[in-house]
Amino acid sequence: MKELEKTKRISIASTLFILIIIMALLAYKRPKYLFKVNTANTLEKLINKDYIVSLNDIYNPDYVLIDIRDQFEFGKAHLENSINISSPAILDEANIAIFDKLKSDNKTVIMYGNNPNEVTAPFMFLYQLGYDNIKILSTENSYFQNNLQSKRVEIEKSENDVNAFIAESIKKANNGLKQKVVIKKPAKTVLKFEKKKKAAAEGGC
Amino acid sequence: MVKKKIAKILAFRYKILALIFIILAGGLVLLPKHQKYEGIKPEELLSKVISPERYISTDKLADKLINKDPSYLLIDIRDEESYTKYTLPNAFNVPLAKLLDEDSEMYLDQDSYNVVLFSNDSFYADQAWILCTRLGYKNIHVLKGGINQWFKTIINPQKPIENMPAKEFELYTFRKAASMHFGVAYPEQFKGTTVIKKEPTIKKSTKKVITVKKKKKAPAEGGC
Repeated sequence: MKELEKTKRISIASTLFILIIIMALLAYKRPKYLFKVNTANTLEKLINKDYIVSLNDIYNPDYVLIDIRDQFEFGKAHLENSINISSPAILDEANIAIFDKLKSDNKTVIMYGNNPNEVTAPFMFLYQLGYDNIKILSTENSYFQNNLQSKRVEIEKSENDVNAFIAESIKKANNGLKQKVVIKKPAKTVLKFEKKKKAAAEGGC
Repeated sequence: MVKKKIAKILAFRYKILALIFIILAGGLVLLPKHQKYEGIKPEELLSKVISPERYISTDKLADKLINKDPSYLLIDIRDEESYTKYTLPNAFNVPLAKLLDEDSEMYLDQDSYNVVLFSNDSFYADQAWILCTRLGYKNIHVLKGGINQWFKTIINPQKPIENMPAKEFELYTFRKAASMHFGVAYPEQFKGTTVIKKEPTIKKSTKKVITVKKKKKAPAEGGC
């Protein structure tokens, strides 16, 4: 029954090891926020483009408007019945609670800012956290007499045909070139006549 | 009595320890499924997304392109049709749909170049940037305003009104020179070339006059 010295160390070492592992397991904290959607699925969603809503469709009782601009801009003017959640504060507990509640109520959230570019970042961020009931309002805001004017805007529209512009500029510049060449030709012929006359006078002696 | 019981249990201690080890090993194998998520943490992604440091202005990019800075790699996120119609010089085409393909990874996931993503406006380029940042790619920027802004500022710069500060005029001069570099022609450019053409024709007529004079002097000497 008496144990040898060496094997006693094994039992001490292994019990310590087990204790350490149990302590690590108990101290392990689950991360607060986890991405629920991976990048490949997010990309698919982006390509479908069905997350964009235009100004006419927002008057629907199931829709909740959220303004992602900061408090100051919201205070200046905002769309009717919209809530202000500014982008840096999205991960605050109170705001996450609002999003959770809206998701469980099956309401569609429509986010807007001064232009669609401002909204795309929070939208993608929230989508990856798992809130798939969010859409973007494609408007551009401007202020007129302290009122908010929201104008519908097309996302990623090519505004200018650059090649046509460059070709036209070259055409215009070449037209200018032709006119100036015509003016200079008559000046060259005047010089030649004068010098021939001088040579004939020397032959006489 | 208790001592005897404890003594009995202690006899089996190695078997008990071995059993506990096996259970822990099984637990460790099952755990990682909860921990793994792709890319960086949400808090980190949010702070990167909010910050405007990813944007590069059209003026800065034009400056780099004119100076032929080799560290910049331009990637067009639009579809192939728009890319073939017009794109920035030396830009590659990676349509948004193919952003996460293996072929595109070699352009995006590298440390040697500064990648600049662009599209017609900042919208799609921003989305591509967010996905790349989540996957941990570094050195990726977005051209602010995209091709639309490029046109407004570099290809077709607006001349400043007289009451604007001198800085605006300097900027306009820079932009005008940049537009010439990228292919736009101005009528004033060609004024200089026609002036140069004048001089060669005048030189030819003076050369002819010299040869005529020398022939006539020789016969006059013989008569004296």
